[in-house]
Amino acid sequence: MVVDDHPIWAEAVARDLTGAGFSVVATAADGAEALRRLPAVRPDVVVLDLHLPILDGVAVTREVVSTLTGTRVLVLSSSGEQDDVLEAVKAGATGYLVKSASTAELIDAVRRTAAGEAVFTAGLAGLVLGEYRRIAGVQPEPGVPVGPALTDRETEILRLVAKGLSSRQIAERLVISYRTVQNHVQNTLIKLQLHNRVELTRYAIEQGLDSDV
Amino acid sequence: MTALGLAKNAAESAPGSADSDADEGRLRRIVDVFRIAALAYAVGLYVPAQDSYVHRWGAWAVLAVLAAWTALLSVRPGRGPRVMLIDLALAAGSVLATRWLDDPARIQDGAQTLPVIWPAAAVLGWAVWRGWRGGLLAALVVSAADLVEVGRFAAWTANSTGNNIVLLILAGLIVGYAAEILRAGRTQMAAAVAQQAATAERERLARDIHDSVLQVLGFVHRDGTERGGAAAELARLAGEQEVRLRALISNGPATPTVGGTADLRAALSQQAGVRVTISCPARPVLLPAQQVSALAAATTAALDNVAQHAGEQAQAWVLLEDEVDRVTVTVRDDGPGFEPGRLEAAQAAGRLGVSSSIRGRIAEIGGTVEFVCMPGEGTEVEMRVPRAG
Repeated sequence: MVVDDHPIWAEAVARDLTGAGFSVVATAADGAEALRRLPAVRPDVVVLDLHLPILDGVAVTREVVSTLTGTRVLVLSSSGEQDDVLEAVKAGATGYLVKSASTAELIDAVRRTAAGEAVFTAGLAGLVLGEYRRIAGVQPEPGVPVGPALTDRETEILRLVAKGLSSRQIAERLVISYRTVQNHVQNTLIKLQLHNRVELTRYAIEQGLDSDV
Repeated sequence: MTALGLAKNAAESAPGSADSDADEGRLRRIVDVFRIAALAYAVGLYVPAQDSYVHRWGAWAVLAVLAAWTALLSVRPGRGPRVMLIDLALAAGSVLATRWLDDPARIQDGAQTLPVIWPAAAVLGWAVWRGWRGGLLAALVVSAADLVEVGRFAAWTANSTGNNIVLLILAGLIVGYAAEILRAGRTQMAAAVAQQAATAERERLARDIHDSVLQVLGFVHRDGTERGGAAAELARLAGEQEVRLRALISNGPATPTVGGTADLRAALSQQAGVRVTISCPARPVLLPAQQVSALAAATTAALDNVAQHAGEQAQAWVLLEDEVDRVTVTVRDDGPGFEPGRLEAAQAAGRLGVSSSIRGRIAEIGGTVEFVCMPGEGTEVEMRVPRAG
């Protein structure tokens, strides 16, 4: 499924994916439409623009991750709004690609997302690394669980990704397997997403919203 | 004391009006009201004492001139230099005239001057007009007139002239200072409002550009690359402009903010291009403006070096890391790299070039630079700068 509010983009992306042998089961031009159509089509991958009318990409990601198991979100954004990308990833998106990426990169990213791999571009690694550093810099408060931290190995790998090395190059440099690199990268995402969920729950309890659930 | 009370009043009435002209007009009206009250007070004190005056009708004439002037200022809002000079001259002149109009014996005994506190209005007017310097100058002129009027030094301390002079000078200084603060506050506020308007306008433009121009440029870049040939060249140009434009609208120029700090993230984002990827945190990285410009310049130098030596096709990545105690900027390229030791050899041979320019800039802001190269995997320049405090 392709979600983009620009028909010119949605069409081009759908055409390329179809050309590469994927079946595009639906397209949507805004967040609300995407959520309406999603349960019926249950795609493996949602290629999602963040900058959407009515309901933005972060909200769509949150909804998809919590209600549709088996559907993965690949953010394809031109927003340059790093905040939004980070929010989408914390909400559960497993990949991020800029719109200026080539068709080959897009097809590869969709294929990897469908296979359950994280699509970690250098830009995303920089954001994730920055977020862990921000968490590390927060003064611990009593009663508030300490945020997640990266292991030395994870930090090392994220830095290499952020500096543009491919997983294969990283595996070679660190003399570990490609799979191990992927696992480390994925772990950094999962920890961040878990932390985000804990934070949201804590916030909901604090606000007394849990009684309604 | 009236004058001091007024100064407080003026400062309190400061906030909340539309612009500085309106504020000044409001202060002036307060002074106008004071001038009228002071005139009534002077007349009230003169009527019972008029028989003691040597030139009774002369004193009435002086009071008539002051009344005419007071009335004129109350209806005429303009305050040019000429008006202010006449105001001050009348204040000093009416004090001096007392020496000629009143009985010298009364003056010796410390009698009030004919205009009493009316000259204070001129001092306050000057303070509002030209700040504390204006207030002080006018107070000194009126005080000098007071001293000449009393005449002998012994009399200055015998009656309340000395106290009055101190109060007058204080009033001039305080009201002048308050007027200046008010004016400075207004100027800052106007600047802040203008900046806010500019930011809002930029955000609106950014949204529009994002929704229109960027989408088309992005599409041209993508589609043209697929077609190849001449279209690919157009696509490359479109892609380049797309990245530039996006960096521009999402961050704006890296201008120093209040307190001499600037956003390093915004400064580095400007350098993004088709062959340059910037990886950075989601938040601004605030550093002293001097460190930001040094790091940005060193990054530019490193990127220029990549373009020169690693070949046209080389990609470069800039990683910005913001930690509690330090900030790290790493520039990596995927060019052929160089043999270990070559940089040191070049440095020893006096061909300093890029390494010295980068090292120099970073050393100046208390940081360190490390060059790493992996044969076949390009070159890495790592610049670390400790965070102060």
